[in-house]
Amino acid sequence: MIRALYFITLFICALPFIPGLLGLILPAFSWLPSLGMLTPNVNAFTLLASWPGLSHSVLLTLLTGLGSTVLAVLFCFLLLRQYWNSPYWQRIELSLSPMLAIPHIAFAIGFAFTFSSTGWFFRTLEALGFNTEGWFSIIRDQYAVGLLLALAIKETPFLLLMSIAVLQQIKVTQLLSVASALGYSHKQAWLKVILPQWLPAMRLPIFAVAAYGCSVVDVALILGPSRPVTLSVLVWQWFNDPDLSLLPRAAVSALLLLSISLLILALIRALEWYLLQYCRQWQVAGAHAAQSQGIGSRRHYLLYTPFVGVSVMAVVLLLLWSFAQRWRFPDLLPTSYSLRFWQQESLSLLKLSANSISLALLSSFCALILAIVCLEYRQKYQRGLPAWLIALPMILPQLSLLFGMQISTYFIPGNWYWLWVAWSHLFFVFPYLYLALDGPWRNYDIRLDQCARSLGFNGWQTWWRVKRPLLLPAICLALAVGISTSLAQYLPTQMLGAGRISTITTEAVALASGQDRRVSAVYGLLQGMLPFIFFTLAIAASRYSLRANRSHQQKRRANADDIIAAKPHYR
Amino acid sequence: MTLSLQNLTIGSHEQCLFENISFQVRAGEVVTLMGPSGCGKSTLLSAIAGHLSPVFSVQGAVTLNGLNVLNLPPDRRRIGILFQDDLLFPHLNIWENLAFALPRALAGQKRQDKALATLKRIGLSKLSDKMPTEISGGQRARISLMRMLLSQPHAVLLDEPFSKLDKVLRSEFRDFVFTELTRQQIPALMVSHDEHDIPVGGLALHWPWHQRDKR
Repeated sequence: MIRALYFITLFICALPFIPGLLGLILPAFSWLPSLGMLTPNVNAFTLLASWPGLSHSVLLTLLTGLGSTVLAVLFCFLLLRQYWNSPYWQRIELSLSPMLAIPHIAFAIGFAFTFSSTGWFFRTLEALGFNTEGWFSIIRDQYAVGLLLALAIKETPFLLLMSIAVLQQIKVTQLLSVASALGYSHKQAWLKVILPQWLPAMRLPIFAVAAYGCSVVDVALILGPSRPVTLSVLVWQWFNDPDLSLLPRAAVSALLLLSISLLILALIRALEWYLLQYCRQWQVAGAHAAQSQGIGSRRHYLLYTPFVGVSVMAVVLLLLWSFAQRWRFPDLLPTSYSLRFWQQESLSLLKLSANSISLALLSSFCALILAIVCLEYRQKYQRGLPAWLIALPMILPQLSLLFGMQISTYFIPGNWYWLWVAWSHLFFVFPYLYLALDGPWRNYDIRLDQCARSLGFNGWQTWWRVKRPLLLPAICLALAVGISTSLAQYLPTQMLGAGRISTITTEAVALASGQDRRVSAVYGLLQGMLPFIFFTLAIAASRYSLRANRSHQQKRRANADDIIAAKPHYR
Repeated sequence: MTLSLQNLTIGSHEQCLFENISFQVRAGEVVTLMGPSGCGKSTLLSAIAGHLSPVFSVQGAVTLNGLNVLNLPPDRRRIGILFQDDLLFPHLNIWENLAFALPRALAGQKRQDKALATLKRIGLSKLSDKMPTEISGGQRARISLMRMLLSQPHAVLLDEPFSKLDKVLRSEFRDFVFTELTRQQIPALMVSHDEHDIPVGGLALHWPWHQRDKR
């Protein structure tokens, strides 16, 4: 049974790659039988090459993809160097989950509310007496500075979270002690001892950030430049072109996007190899003298504040705008408040939330079952899922992959939109959920199972009565990770749903570029609240299960004590 | 060089670990601190090296040839430290681990030459290009000590450096450490649970570190 389920998982998760790639490559050569294109040719390539703004779009994509990744990695490393093992680190670690729970789209809308030319930042400057008319704004600017910064700020907590497990594997404190005893300051020791070990271990998360940065559509639609747009947005626009004969051009551009993403990943890998392997003399060139500024000089608590500040500001502004009745520039706060927009949108919100939640629950529960099956299979047969199967959905551009998947669905008769969307959500949710459960499953002491089996429990009883209660907190949290991943999916819902399935996320993106900030804020806020609700529920459930287990144990112990205490000689 | 502890008091807001500890370690001498687990042996070494958690307060003085190093950052104290784990840097090969400790003034090829010469002296030159995971525990321990000595420390702290080695290796490595420290005339303060670790003719301080024994 477990073997069959394992192969079903392989089938479900590996299958999209085949139509994903075929559906991308064949239309690129203008072979699309369903649209009557039966003669392969390279016309679409010529058409793409002659597009006037192509080089600019490619440059913007390279800049945002590579720039945001390098900045996020830099921010992450500086924060770790500053705070790791300091008393302030506990607070940073606590702040990571809520910051990660804010979806990219809600964050982008809040970011736009903060830094647009009529946003809160400029309102504050006006209140301070500056005349900001004609000042450069980073929202939808032609150089994509706002998009780059927003991505870097949003991805930094993710890299920090990933770094925790990595640094726990490295003996940071002891290695730093040794380095300082050898004459290296704190900063030099982090650079020469910790960085060369941290960076290779962070390769997959960094690749995921880079791939997301160069293929992102939803955030780029809200914060990115509009003329010309980034390549991912250009692909998206061409893909939605009503003239279906231009579909090969969209396929070629999706192929180009895939190539650029792979090029960026290769560049990052090459840079890592050059710095850490090829040109490694700097690592052993000796300590710089007198760079240290004395004990305690590294505790600048302000470094982390902008990251929390921007996220908090984004949420607060979404909240304020959603209840604002009248908020003219340059007022710092609304002059009147109202529930009007919540009431006006309530029916639509309910319907969209129901769609979002059903899709999220369906895909996440399926992914959870499949992930548990794979982990149990690994434990039993010592054979885990191939690493590429987990990594590829995270590091390949979603747009390119989905493009091919959608083209493939054209070949299947019938309108199975819900099924396709749920399948695509499952495909993207599964790796995150699997990774969230991987650690707890590895840490589980297998001897507990052996002990239970020796006491007469069968396999299923052992799992249900021993393993499940112990791993329930991790399962709850993984489920919340899966649900929040599904809730944030924009492209899978739009592309495989062919625009017929709407969720809070798709509406939030559609309304973000609209005229009314108040409606946009309502959708953005709800999009941010849904994952938060599920994370809160998961934390509550895991705490309840822990407490229930503990009270159960205590009760049993009390009973045992009663029995022992009842014997006269124990009194 | 002489390492002196003068009226050293270490405590947190909850408790005082020890009060007014004073003793001296002369050049080439190894003083062994003995005591039960949890009495603060490693804490004392951390305080001297400058790695003590900020929750502790340190009063008194730790001087190296008359200079109080307590207010200096760890990297400027010039106090070498050897732990029970060898703590070779896993991303560097053996000669690079040694070169890491050399002063910056020694540049380019000279760094590699010096590292290789050190390896040759201790009979491990064949290991120069190996990674730390590819050599034995005893070899790693020797290289770890040599790395520390290459940084030319003014004093050395040994935090149970032999406790993870087996009986034969332990004896060999112990002799190697004491010979090198005596040769380079460096004062050393060692923490240990084992009476056998006290060097012949060396001083041992028993908890609460006022009672002196000579082996």
